[in-house]
Amino acid sequence: MTPSFSRRQALLLSAGTLAGLAAPRLLRAQGQTEITVHYAQPFIYKEAYDAMLAAFAKAEPGIKVTYVTTPNYEEGAQLILRQASTGQLPDLSYQGFNRLRIFAERGLAQDLAPLLAQEGRPEQQGYTPNFLALGQFGGIQAGLAYAASNPVCYFNADLVRRAGGNPDQFPTDWNGVLDLAARIKRLGDGHEGLWFTWNGDDWMFSALLFGHGGRMLAADERDVGFAGPEGLGALTLLERMVKEGGMPNLTAPAARQAFAAGKLGMIFQTTALVRGTLANVGNSFELRTTTMPVIDREKGRLPTGGAAGMLLARDPAKREAAWKFLRFSTGPEGQAMMVKNTGYLPCNQLAIDQPQYLAAFYKDNPLFVPAVKQIPISVPWYAFPGTNSVRVTQTMVDNLARIVEQRATPAEVQADMAAEVRRLLPRKA
Amino acid sequence: MPELLEAEAREGAALPGPSRRGGTATPDPANGREVQEPQVPGGGPGGGAPWLLLTLPAILAYVVLLLLPTLAAMALAFTDYELGAGGFAWIGLDNFAELLRDRGFRQSFANTLFYVAVVTPGSIFGALAIALLIEGGRRGRTLFRALFFLPVVSLTVAMATAWQYLLHPTIGPLNAMLRQVGVAGPAWLSDSGMVMWSLAGIGIWENLGFNLVLFLAGLTAIPRELYAAAEVDGAGSAWARFRLVTWPMLGPTTLFILTITMIRAVRVFDTVKVLTQGGPAKASEVLLHTMYQEGFTFFRLGYSAAITLVFLVIVLALMWLQTRLLDKRVHYA
Repeated sequence: MTPSFSRRQALLLSAGTLAGLAAPRLLRAQGQTEITVHYAQPFIYKEAYDAMLAAFAKAEPGIKVTYVTTPNYEEGAQLILRQASTGQLPDLSYQGFNRLRIFAERGLAQDLAPLLAQEGRPEQQGYTPNFLALGQFGGIQAGLAYAASNPVCYFNADLVRRAGGNPDQFPTDWNGVLDLAARIKRLGDGHEGLWFTWNGDDWMFSALLFGHGGRMLAADERDVGFAGPEGLGALTLLERMVKEGGMPNLTAPAARQAFAAGKLGMIFQTTALVRGTLANVGNSFELRTTTMPVIDREKGRLPTGGAAGMLLARDPAKREAAWKFLRFSTGPEGQAMMVKNTGYLPCNQLAIDQPQYLAAFYKDNPLFVPAVKQIPISVPWYAFPGTNSVRVTQTMVDNLARIVEQRATPAEVQADMAAEVRRLLPRKA
Repeated sequence: MPELLEAEAREGAALPGPSRRGGTATPDPANGREVQEPQVPGGGPGGGAPWLLLTLPAILAYVVLLLLPTLAAMALAFTDYELGAGGFAWIGLDNFAELLRDRGFRQSFANTLFYVAVVTPGSIFGALAIALLIEGGRRGRTLFRALFFLPVVSLTVAMATAWQYLLHPTIGPLNAMLRQVGVAGPAWLSDSGMVMWSLAGIGIWENLGFNLVLFLAGLTAIPRELYAAAEVDGAGSAWARFRLVTWPMLGPTTLFILTITMIRAVRVFDTVKVLTQGGPAKASEVLLHTMYQEGFTFFRLGYSAAITLVFLVIVLALMWLQTRLLDKRVHYA
């Protein structure tokens, strides 16, 4: 018998430890609804959200939108969880795909399915099942996808040429990629062939696992899904990158610096970094991007990163206004603004299909195109269930480090990783 | 939470510092008792308790900003509270039992001990050696003092970024120099066998200047006559003078530096957060970073509070050690 405490009591006890950023008190002027909208990573998104703010103000003069931002998704999630305890939630929040499940399971994100149903058939508005799936967690439509990304390969065309490769015919499978990487490394003078973003979180590892047709957990989420041949294939491929491709042991920032300095031949990371990488590289070498090497031609999939908007407002008028903003931001117009200002992928089929929105942009910016080509094989970023959701991903990364450092074989790591993740899964009755 | 504890630790440890460094012999500077006594006359002019009124703002600030949050953190350590969860349950010592079983925490604890064990002697003996050199030198005292003190006044996070570049395995200057002499430099921050040494090296660099200035102050406080007297008594060599005069006279300073360095080393966080995030595979996980990660990345505030409590106990133990030793072991001028 464990005594339980209400939210208010919990709050009293922890008062002071949870000093949050107080959201501005929301007032309603006559005829005008004011809503607060939270988003993360202003260094990437600010221009996009500012453009939407201006356009939305024209379309809906009765709604005044105020932004609250956090430097990254992690602090964004903290902000919402803290403010949920103090009753100061914003009305709408854009969160990373992999954190939506936390909000859905804690009853903070509202189900958008009924609201969508009122608007008519979702497909006709560009919300195809694939895009809707990105925001479905905990059995509800917890969010609407706003910005998406998938992993791509960035390469230094100059180094590829020097190593005897052809940048126009970049290898499309891992055997070719690893061979090219080894040749770049043999150029010497501190040059490295490739780096795969295996650390940070489990996202890029899931690219290898999904690429083999594998999955993180079994369909019923009672057991791990990477204990089979697909998981072993993904781990073995990581080991081959080290053994055959000569992948150096670097932290992610160090790898990006090495790539920008022209010392690294290829880097595999999210397409969301195209803009930043381009700025860092400047004119020092020819930067190109291409699609991820194919692993399994039929079953291979790629994870989708990015953000979705989730509705938090309870007040009916604010809820209505926040929903309008969410719909605008995920509609073709808002999506076109987002893509042009960030380089993320659109999450609305109309924005992709109808040429007036983005056709010219992709013609002028070929570096963003490989990610668009990969949309058909992209699946949601898997988020683990239960309270250890984020901890599981750290456990996986820690195990991957053992392969990269060559301290354990893929088979040993697979067994340990499965055992450790199983312990962190919620026990079901 | 961590900042508050840090502030407390800093305050508690720094209190006795200045009075001892000056060399003026206050009998019990550790808890400031003699400062309070004159404030309790009770029946002062105007009646009531003016001392209470005067100290009220400080007391309030202490209670609201330090005492209550600390107590709240202690209480949380016995719950399963998670950020954003509707409520919580008392789970007694379960968090602490989990700490004992948690391989990650054990590693984090061991890494912190390693860091303290390397940084404390490194930065103390390094600072002492440099202080003696500067003190014995004829010219450039101010220059060297300023140079070695620079790391202390610079922002750790910004400096960590500079270190990241210096230690970069492929484009960093350090490994470039090593390549010149034909040595393949290690991956300083991403090799699990190397990373704690690299972080400890940065820690020594960070703490050295602070300790140096304290040692210099301690050295100037030693009366010249003692050296003359020692020479008369036959202590001719530099080593003898150091062993018989300098080292014992520096006792109080050294003890203070020892405690403050240990507390500063236990508190290591910034460099880990910026440079390694505890990786690879928890090889550079330290107490405060584990606390941060459990609480604010994994949202397990109850568990995080339990780690906070462990941290608090360590800091308090160090302070207790200081005040105990202070009275008994150290020779005062």
